[in-house]
Amino acid sequence: MTMVLRVVLIVMSVLVLVVMFRKIRQAKARIEDSMFWVFFALLLVLFSVFPGAADWLSGLVGTMSTANFIFLLMIFLLLVKSFSMSLRISQLETRLKDLVQRIALDNNDREEEKEEKDS
Amino acid sequence: MAEVLVVIPAYNEELNIERVVDNLIRNYPQFDYVVVNDGSRDKTAEICRRKGYHLLDLPVNLGLAGGFQAGLKYAYRHHYSYAIQFDGDGQHRPEFIQAMRDKMEEGYDIVIGSRFVTEKKPRTLRMLGSNLISAAIRLTTGVRIKDPTSGMRMFSRKMVEEFALSLNYGPEPDTVSYLLKQGAKVAEVQVRMDERIAGESYLNPVNAMKYMSKMLFSILFIQNFRKRDKRYRKKEGGKQS
Repeated sequence: MTMVLRVVLIVMSVLVLVVMFRKIRQAKARIEDSMFWVFFALLLVLFSVFPGAADWLSGLVGTMSTANFIFLLMIFLLLVKSFSMSLRISQLETRLKDLVQRIALDNNDREEEKEEKDS
Repeated sequence: MAEVLVVIPAYNEELNIERVVDNLIRNYPQFDYVVVNDGSRDKTAEICRRKGYHLLDLPVNLGLAGGFQAGLKYAYRHHYSYAIQFDGDGQHRPEFIQAMRDKMEEGYDIVIGSRFVTEKKPRTLRMLGSNLISAAIRLTTGVRIKDPTSGMRMFSRKMVEEFALSLNYGPEPDTVSYLLKQGAKVAEVQVRMDERIAGESYLNPVNAMKYMSKMLFSILFIQNFRKRDKRYRKKEGGKQS
């Protein structure tokens, strides 16, 4: 890894950490959801501070250069994250749909009850 | 209480809803109905309230699948024997509901109000899409559905429950295909449909293309991986006509 890449990684990671912790302080992100980003940023800091670790892993995987390995790892982690988010959105939309339907059905029940009493 | 519930999903149908529902009330009092206002931005809900229609008023827009499912949940709560999907824009004609209901009597799970049982399919671009979906269903289930995209479908009590309580049961051809594969019995009854009289259809060429590719991909590929809840699985498997 070049010095420039290491510096860029460190700066970006620190930025991510700062933003994430600020969001938590402002109560705009749940701790559970911040975990991934904190872990992600720390991992990149780790690789930038100890490039030997990244070199070793890169050799193990067989990527042409350590930078390639870092990119691959980032893409992989982001894919996993977006996959799990996609699942969660599905779940959320289902719950939202059920709630909306429930509200409409319950309102209808109430209205029809009222009508029956009135007539 | 009637035996058949007419579920009328309506999204921004202020120009049509009155005509459609009044026709039902006046000329077909043997059927119950419920309008599902799917978070319309126009006066659909207001009109229904003023006229005192049976109304499910969804506070936000869920799309056709979510709105129709709300209607089926209503049918399920109120123990209707049959529920029929009926467009709020006036293209479906209520005089065919009775024929579809009579067909159900023969033990079908779903009866489709079909434009092409005895009539010939016109050779238009839209019907090419319909043919493709028919072919896909035939390929995966072995059953020939002549009008898979017809939005006029009647469901048995059993189906109403399944549609009301499960996920991924949109009122679309891919669900029909999936159920056919699971051994559901589906029939078609010849109906006539009108062109929409007022308001705007959402089916422009781009949307139609998207819809077609989504349906084909779903029928040919994704539906094969679904697993049916064991509450609804039948012990005896059998082919259907």
